[in-house]
Amino acid sequence: MGLFSRRKTKFVDSDVLVIGGGMAGCGATYEARHWGRDLNIVCVEKANIERSGAVAQGLYAINCYMGMQWDENQPEDHVRYARNDLMGLVREDLGYDIARHVDSSVHKFEEWGLPMMKDPETGRYVREGKWQIMIHGESYKPIVAEAARKAATKVYNRIMVTHLLMDKKKENRVAGAVGFNVRTGDFYVFRAKAVIVAAGGASHIYKPRAVGEGMGRTWYAPWSSASAYALPIQVGAKMTQMENRIVLTRFKDGYGPVGAYFLHLKTYTENAFGEEYESTWYENTKELVGDYVDRHPVPTCLRNHAFLEELKAGRGPIRMVTKEAFQDPHKETVGWENFLGMTIGQAVVWASQNIDPKFTNPELTTSEPYVMGSHATCSGAWASGPEDYAPDEYQWGYNRMMTVDGLFGAGDTIGGTAHKFSSGSYTEGRIAAKAAVNYIKDMGKEAPEVSEDEYQQLKKTVFKPMENYEVGRNEIVAGTVSPSYLLPIQGLQRLEKIMDEYVGGISAHYMTNEHLLTRGLELLEMLREDMEHIGAEDLHQLQRAWELNHRLLASESVTHHTMFRKETRWPGYYYRGDHMKLDDNDWHCFTLSQYHQQSGEWELEKAPVYHIVD
Amino acid sequence: MPTFVYMTRCDGCGHCVDICPSDIMHIDKTYRRAVNIEPNMCWECYSCVKACPQNAIDARGYADFAPLGHSVRVLREEEKGTISWKIKFRNGHEKNFESPIRTTKWGTIPSPADLPPPSEEDFKSQELAHEPDVLNIDGGLPALTRDQLKKGVV
Amino acid sequence: MFTSNPFAELSASIAPSVMQTYIVVMIILVALGTIYDVLHKKSAQYFRANMQKSKAEGSKVGGGEKISIAIKTAVVDVAASGEFCNTKRRIAHLLGMYGFVFFALATVVMVFCYPTSDVATPAIWPQLWWLGAAMVCVGGYWFWFFIRADVSAEGGSPFRLMKADLFVLSLLGSATFALVWGYLQAKGHDWTTIAFWLHIIFTTILFGSVPWSKFAHMFFKPAAAFEKRLSVANGTRSNLPAPADQPEQFGSVDHRPRNY
Repeated sequence: MGLFSRRKTKFVDSDVLVIGGGMAGCGATYEARHWGRDLNIVCVEKANIERSGAVAQGLYAINCYMGMQWDENQPEDHVRYARNDLMGLVREDLGYDIARHVDSSVHKFEEWGLPMMKDPETGRYVREGKWQIMIHGESYKPIVAEAARKAATKVYNRIMVTHLLMDKKKENRVAGAVGFNVRTGDFYVFRAKAVIVAAGGASHIYKPRAVGEGMGRTWYAPWSSASAYALPIQVGAKMTQMENRIVLTRFKDGYGPVGAYFLHLKTYTENAFGEEYESTWYENTKELVGDYVDRHPVPTCLRNHAFLEELKAGRGPIRMVTKEAFQDPHKETVGWENFLGMTIGQAVVWASQNIDPKFTNPELTTSEPYVMGSHATCSGAWASGPEDYAPDEYQWGYNRMMTVDGLFGAGDTIGGTAHKFSSGSYTEGRIAAKAAVNYIKDMGKEAPEVSEDEYQQLKKTVFKPMENYEVGRNEIVAGTVSPSYLLPIQGLQRLEKIMDEYVGGISAHYMTNEHLLTRGLELLEMLREDMEHIGAEDLHQLQRAWELNHRLLASESVTHHTMFRKETRWPGYYYRGDHMKLDDNDWHCFTLSQYHQQSGEWELEKAPVYHIVD
Repeated sequence: MPTFVYMTRCDGCGHCVDICPSDIMHIDKTYRRAVNIEPNMCWECYSCVKACPQNAIDARGYADFAPLGHSVRVLREEEKGTISWKIKFRNGHEKNFESPIRTTKWGTIPSPADLPPPSEEDFKSQELAHEPDVLNIDGGLPALTRDQLKKGVV
Repeated sequence: MFTSNPFAELSASIAPSVMQTYIVVMIILVALGTIYDVLHKKSAQYFRANMQKSKAEGSKVGGGEKISIAIKTAVVDVAASGEFCNTKRRIAHLLGMYGFVFFALATVVMVFCYPTSDVATPAIWPQLWWLGAAMVCVGGYWFWFFIRADVSAEGGSPFRLMKADLFVLSLLGSATFALVWGYLQAKGHDWTTIAFWLHIIFTTILFGSVPWSKFAHMFFKPAAAFEKRLSVANGTRSNLPAPADQPEQFGSVDHRPRNY
């Protein structure tokens, strides 16, 4: 916004509003058009859907593909795999639903032009592992974005959605959203019949290992600012498993992926003395989790646990033995292209330190915690399951609808659906879109209405950080230190330090307990109060301010959930020092939370886990 | 490694500003050329590097842990459907890679609206667009029954 | 109006020797400004070091090839503004560049060769003067309001000013007020003098602000274009990979609507 221009309010009407243009959002936009030929389908994205989201740099593998056409896997096998990896706690109805559809999404990707690696003899996709297939996916995102652009009525880029709007006529029903244009500063009011939240999960809520420029090298995209959680939480949607944060073992500093290395190149880990160490921690792990240690494959968190224990015992660094595999030129190419198509930064780290895996075994490390819903983890909104088989307790009308009417979710937004990755998130977007179109059809003429009072109030709220800066700036000569406002980066650094020290970050070796969590909540509360005084110098800083706001709300949820679950379910992700063991008697359940905005209270409860009978 | 822009190559076209997922590529006020305004929010996704028509953007590994003297540069050729990489180690060692990025022409993905619409029954079924055909299996879309899901510990 | 020399009429109030001295001073300011800029920023030292590094890493490029590269640079990159890949930007630049050339050349010729009404000015020179100034305005205002990246990509208001605007604004001011002055003088209007002095003020800022504006890039860009072609010829290619040896069969989509 410049001189002489006044901030305009723009209204966008739609039938289906997709918030977030990543994999899930693009899937939802595409599918919504198939079912809603005459509907107004709008996708709104804070960046540019061409490269937005976690798949910006591309992917080298699709990690969720059944291969039903070749009898490679069946959906229930995938459910058991995800259940196993998450120590028993996944929404098996939702997971089966994604697994039965995901193959169709992948086949469409191939049809649209995604280069798949194929076995020249069998013609099948080359498998990296049981669930993963290998692709040349540098342009994975541009390809799915093209399909979404063709399907949408309109795609709005560079508009950050900050809040959802509720129906003024009917309680607990969504009616749209508000946000601002990051380029022009215009205020946007989106009015919709159904809303699909497909935004990003939470990176940058814990202090990362590198704190200078290196802060940017997070494992999960730095622009995943927890909007997937904050938007539903604000309007009282129930969330689940927010304590189930993920810690990843990856290559040092660059956080480059290890999947292709383990599965395709058949590399393995060893400690600083060249010894195999994972099996030496078997008894220790059994003490904590009982028979879960005997599951195959070994759950991700337990592998982390052995890694961490080995480091604490002083036998680090842990290295990936690559020298053998890299002697094979094909494997060497795969090893490097794996990064170039997915995490270019790892290639840069190795080039900068003269690490050639043919001659050196590179170091591994564990990351800081992230909270998201599509990987070996499943935090997110509590959603209704598939109409054809979901148990009554998991079903209240429309697939992937949250506990707020008309509010759907997909991708990292939805909880309980681990191991869906990119293809599963895209598929979940499709599932949510079909359900949203059915919801709209059933609604008939009874469309929701936004409240003018609500959005006028939100307009002031959204731009307040800019006013804080402009006015507060008069107090000081110059510089970043003001007694009356905080810059967004300053708020972010405080948030990351609080979570790191009190809610199980790297400096605490992922350990926490009720005392620490209680103190953490106190400090988060003070940060919440300070959010009234964030100062944004320009529209870019305003975006950062709202990203911080969303991250803080998600962090509060994570902390409450972590306090509520009185056990250590996932050692290697985090530990409750006051409840170190896994407890299937009391805690073989989901945690659910609901935030009440008026009172500021959090309400937590348990929900049952249903398993596919074997 | 965060990105930087070469003075002699950038002509201030704004492609990088349009594409950056982090909103950190902006236009410098003195030269009207591109600049990375927030390297600590740069993921090294190389979207800007690939989007620059002048190859004016490059990356230098994060100073926190990447010594100087390396280079990882890329040429993305949409018309050829290829991406080429040149990696130069600090010690001068070099590696080159080339991969496909697309097997079909850009812009040719059909809208779902161009294909036959679903029937009323289709809306009530569990099938998504193009299913069951595109699953390429016999027997239709797999499903569970309600009694296959039980509460308890497994 | 378009065929009469505005400076001849002006010589009634300002002596030709003053006008000519002013032009010489402007040329000196540009030269000094550029030299100062180069020395102060040590840009020549950087450029030389860069060329030496490229030469050391690359294969030898013969003298003949270097000359052919220089010619290509002059013809394609300089004369045809070939470095711009976007058609609109290229056209706007060509308009501004050739407009400035015609305008400046016509000014110099008229002031030095036909400074008074004593000698008849061939019609071509005033025509080039008007045409040049108009071309600068068309290309310049088009760029100013629509094309420049801080407006088209960043969403900045066209009325927001920054240091990078110094060159293009002073150039536009000089050309615009030249046109206004020429028109008012032909009509014998009272405000002719004001318009003339505004033209002079903007012209002086344009030539005098070289150390702080992007004016000197006019000299740097051809050198950079030559260096870029040379780095392709000697194989270093600025560390970029070589183009893939694959057919161009997938097209490309200009999916660049205004992304906000």
